[in-house]
Amino acid sequence: MSDHICTPGCTHGITEENRKDVLEEFDTARRSFLRNTLVGGGAVGLGALGIGMTPMAHAASGVAGSDPDAPGPRHYYIPATPDTVLWGYFSKVAKPVLEIESGDYVTMETLTHHANDDAERMVKGDPGAEAVFFWDANRKGVDRRGAGPMDAPIGAGGGAGVHICTGPVRIKGAQPGDILEVRIADVVPRPSGNPSFKGKSFGSNAAANWGFQYGDLLSEPKKREVVTIYEVDATGERNWAQAVYNFRWTPQTDPFGVVHPTIDYPGIPVNHSTVTHNENILRDIRIPIRPHFGTIGVAPAEVDMVSSIPPNHTGGNIDNWRIGKGAKIYFPVAVEGANFSVGDPHASQGDSEMCGTAIECSLTGTFQFILHKKADLPGTALAELNYPLLETQDDWVLHGFSYANYLAELGPNAQNDIYSKSSVDLAMRDAFHKMRHFLMSTQNLGEDEAISLMSIAVDFGITQVVDGNWGVHAVLKKSMFPARKS
Amino acid sequence: MTDLKRFSANSVPAALRQPAWNDMLTQVGLASRVSMPALRDNKDHVALCASAHSSVFVHMNAAPQSFTPLPANPGGTRHSVLVVALLSGSAHLLASDQPLALGPGDVMLLDPAQHWQLVMQTDFRAMLVRLESSSFLLRLVRNGQLVANRISATRGMGALCLRLFESVAEQLQHLDSAELPALEATLSELLVASLSQPQSSSSDDTTDVQLAHLRRVCRSIDARLEDPELNIEQIAEQEGLSARYVQKLFKNSGTTFSEYLKGRRIQHCCLDLANPALAQFSIAQLCYRWGFNDAANFSRTFSQYVGMSPKAYRAAPPSDLQAQLQRGRPQVAPAVRSSVNTAQEQREDDLQKHRRSFVEVLDEHARYAQSLRLAPKRHPLPANETRDPGASQYYLPASDKTVHWGYFSRDIKPALSVRSGDIVTIETLSQHATDDCERMVSGDPGAESVFHWTREKKNVDRRGAGPADASIFGRGCGEGFGVHICTGPVYVRDAEPGDVLEVRILDILPRPSCHPDHEGRHFGSNAATWWGFQYDDLLTEPRKREVVTVYEVHQHTQPPHAKAVYSFRWTPQTDPFGVVHPTIDYPGVPVDHSTINKQFGVLAKAQIPVRPHFGVMAVAPRESGMVDSIPPSYFGGNMDNWRAGKGARLFLPVSVAGALFSVGDPHASQGDSELCGTAIECSLTGVFQLVLHKQRDLDGQFLGNLSHPFLETDDEWVLQGMSFADYQSELGPGAQTQVYKSSSLEAAMRDAFRKTRNYLMTEHALSEDEAISLISVAVDFGITQVVDGNLGVHAIIRKETFPDYDRTAPKPDQKL
Repeated sequence: MSDHICTPGCTHGITEENRKDVLEEFDTARRSFLRNTLVGGGAVGLGALGIGMTPMAHAASGVAGSDPDAPGPRHYYIPATPDTVLWGYFSKVAKPVLEIESGDYVTMETLTHHANDDAERMVKGDPGAEAVFFWDANRKGVDRRGAGPMDAPIGAGGGAGVHICTGPVRIKGAQPGDILEVRIADVVPRPSGNPSFKGKSFGSNAAANWGFQYGDLLSEPKKREVVTIYEVDATGERNWAQAVYNFRWTPQTDPFGVVHPTIDYPGIPVNHSTVTHNENILRDIRIPIRPHFGTIGVAPAEVDMVSSIPPNHTGGNIDNWRIGKGAKIYFPVAVEGANFSVGDPHASQGDSEMCGTAIECSLTGTFQFILHKKADLPGTALAELNYPLLETQDDWVLHGFSYANYLAELGPNAQNDIYSKSSVDLAMRDAFHKMRHFLMSTQNLGEDEAISLMSIAVDFGITQVVDGNWGVHAVLKKSMFPARKS
Repeated sequence: MTDLKRFSANSVPAALRQPAWNDMLTQVGLASRVSMPALRDNKDHVALCASAHSSVFVHMNAAPQSFTPLPANPGGTRHSVLVVALLSGSAHLLASDQPLALGPGDVMLLDPAQHWQLVMQTDFRAMLVRLESSSFLLRLVRNGQLVANRISATRGMGALCLRLFESVAEQLQHLDSAELPALEATLSELLVASLSQPQSSSSDDTTDVQLAHLRRVCRSIDARLEDPELNIEQIAEQEGLSARYVQKLFKNSGTTFSEYLKGRRIQHCCLDLANPALAQFSIAQLCYRWGFNDAANFSRTFSQYVGMSPKAYRAAPPSDLQAQLQRGRPQVAPAVRSSVNTAQEQREDDLQKHRRSFVEVLDEHARYAQSLRLAPKRHPLPANETRDPGASQYYLPASDKTVHWGYFSRDIKPALSVRSGDIVTIETLSQHATDDCERMVSGDPGAESVFHWTREKKNVDRRGAGPADASIFGRGCGEGFGVHICTGPVYVRDAEPGDVLEVRILDILPRPSCHPDHEGRHFGSNAATWWGFQYDDLLTEPRKREVVTVYEVHQHTQPPHAKAVYSFRWTPQTDPFGVVHPTIDYPGVPVDHSTINKQFGVLAKAQIPVRPHFGVMAVAPRESGMVDSIPPSYFGGNMDNWRAGKGARLFLPVSVAGALFSVGDPHASQGDSELCGTAIECSLTGVFQLVLHKQRDLDGQFLGNLSHPFLETDDEWVLQGMSFADYQSELGPGAQTQVYKSSSLEAAMRDAFRKTRNYLMTEHALSEDEAISLISVAVDFGITQVVDGNLGVHAIIRKETFPDYDRTAPKPDQKL
């Protein structure tokens, strides 16, 4: 145990043999957390892990993180429950579910907001999901879904923002101007809680009304939404997903009696007696999986509640599949404490997320948070960073959006206007600006050098065309600067 | 933001084409019947925009078919009139009385409530407008005989109408639904006025005599611009012509007398306003000087033409340079000149007719012994390549006799003729080699023969598809409307339209320097140019600059990489004919290194991974004449996708007999987007195997209906989307200009999506819903390039997604 150094990609000594014990440990932690959901609660004893999920610096303290008074990083666990999620929005005023120090680890469960497309496979038998998705004639487990008005006719929050975001996590000492580095140490799919589907995970892909294809379909009915359910191997043995069945969305009546002719509100339980399942679809096709978090970020400063759909300079719904295990992502802190949230878990997605969604599949991630204080930034790759910057094993990935900060650029109606003002062309322009800035400020290149390099060695791709504020990312290979350290 | 919807039949699987096409036509209240062979031609394109008053404007480019009005007119009122302006092709109209023949330039008004059939007999281009709420017009239409509802556009109001339709066709993508009502009103009034005009159907041919007249007329006009009273009658009288005839001359040139006159005057005013020597004169005084007699009117007209007030213009005149900086053919090229040029171009083509034969090419071969000697001594084929024992091997060197520079054409005589399966080693040269002649040209006989340019002689004179006499900008023969040095074309025996040519890239080798100081090393040039994405968006001074960075390619180190050697800012370069090139506006201008300032040590720490590939790979386009090599299109061309490297296979739809394959624009490396305008432009030699797939063998397969380039690598299939899948058909006669102005990444993304959907539905027999889900969860869209006029977005499908796929296996029935 003494020579374990925790790095991205590390499994923290979890093996198939001890996995069960680990999960039990987490279950215990979750139960205690549910009894005691207060800030700072939920520090987990990780005895079962043997070598602990902590860097070497801390390994000497034995059972990592078990003693809240011990020095060094701790490891926390946040299960997904109605009390630990914000559904559909980021907020600087939301009460944090946890407060941590820079360097701490947090394992966070995230739920896909599409789980109710097939509650049988993705909700049933899973206490956390059941509590969050709970909805009967009288009560919803989580009432507010979106940043809209609570009395919106289609449901509280108006569905102005759809992602179930776990958090916020408050980072002690984080101030506007600092940079929060989030290391994604691990990502695992959430197994189905239904004994009939033991060992499997499931995800849902909805070709939705906000997709790029909507209104541009060939076959009748021209305006339709189609949900495809995918199966993902929960044991991690197969690195691909396969389709199970699909169905066309039919008007769904939610438990409060509101009819949803289209997918206009998140978490509506689909009544499977009203839809037709088409089996045998996408036969013999294997979708390589790329587990990642679509929505990840810190709270913006402009308004108290911001829809989770359009990504922005503080992150959010970036929908880049590269934000997976082993990646580090850096966010400019906009509010005191940062208020980090994560959600919108995806088993896989293509660049562009063309039809509106990915394989939306609940995942659990382990994150380490490192705070970089403003004063320490000059001269580093993080200097002047004002957008979410992703670092993977091989690449720097910069995120351009149609509007780099739409809340500031579009004014009071930004949260509505953004949906009609985006274009790939604008996002490309923003990605160009950011990459030029990055090369000039962090690699000390002149403008002419930066531009030549971009043309011959930087790849621009389309991140997504479905999240209001459209995204183009620029990928720079780290190996290009062999002599430099980031 | 425009409200334009665009649709191309070839983006739709064949079985769904007819319903999809009809669905589009429903919006103008038409149904179409098309014969199946016509559908296979993949020619149908439509751009459609509905106005705020529910009128619908459609620009259509399509194959023969017949239209009938739909009984119910969805979304329309009971007072709609359908106007068909036939811009090219021929048709006849069947109604109760005699069939009525329609030709190019005819405008026909139709009552959608009556029974008729419009039979398009040829490929055609037309503007269709369904005008709503035009009951007065509708009354006129109902009262008239069928023949009376045809507006002849040879002159008068009819001519204006036609011009308006032509302009609308051109500008449709820039008009949004809120702007269209104004146009509707104008159109209605014009049409009402036209209907009351007596008809005339006389038409005479455009001849050299007419062109001569036009030249004379223009000279007279220029001499009298200052006369505010100048009118067409005076000019006609002076030249001994009738006013009607003069008007017609201008119409043939795509303009009118008064428009031309106004344009000339404004041009002179621009010059005066920008001239510091005239600063003491007021704007009014200057405008009187050029025949304007009302300052307010002048100011208005000026703003219309120039886009800013005379005062603003005077304060900050854009440099002429800037006005010229559009790639391709300028839209506002003086109309008169372009007519003249057409004639000259024709002559130029004739001159080119006497071309060398294959035998000569072989003779040439001997002269390139040195190139051959320098070529790496490596067997051109990977050892394990199974090879057709009958396949022959050829070597096509790059020389002034084997390249065409800056254009594609079905009329270029082949440099080589091969059979399917043959292997051809083809040398390609970078058009940027003259950025550093010492490293990239000197001592290399092939490159020297192509780039040779002295006061007396320019070996490859034509560079681009522009006029041979450079009468538009004066840059040089071909005007640089197209820049790539393309080697070929290679004629593939038995290739016919409808077949598919598979180009297998077996190997790619960089071309070594022949200069004694650099012998055997490899160099390339990257130019951050005025057509780059960064040009108007620079941070540091000077804000408008072009920078060339010369790279050395270290091919034999591990990993192979490129390093910058030095960079320099472009300074005005005088070519050997004495023309000054203030920007990189013409390819192959030798850079005089005594005029530039080299910065060494740039990008000192950056080690760029190499991705050798060919930016341009094309078969000849089906259109006649010369086609600018810059915008990629259905025939391939300048796709600038770095995935077209060693091991890749490119499938191209054959449009002309022999396919006529050309390759050029070699790149040592490029990033997705080719942001600054160019890659590491580095001469390369490629080993290609050309395999012909006959249409009859492809029946029912995706390739059997291929209407666009399709790239396959070891691990991926790549569908290349472009803002316009077939820009020439979609944009009509002004396409080579329009494509540079109308492209967007969003349109390219749309095209890439549709092509990918079509591929998955056709080749993998997926239903539409399956295809869409798969695209969203497993297909990556990237930005190919933002600098080639017709912008590119590609979609990448990983083969591992289809572990059981076998291309040769019979396909299950397509699900719809």
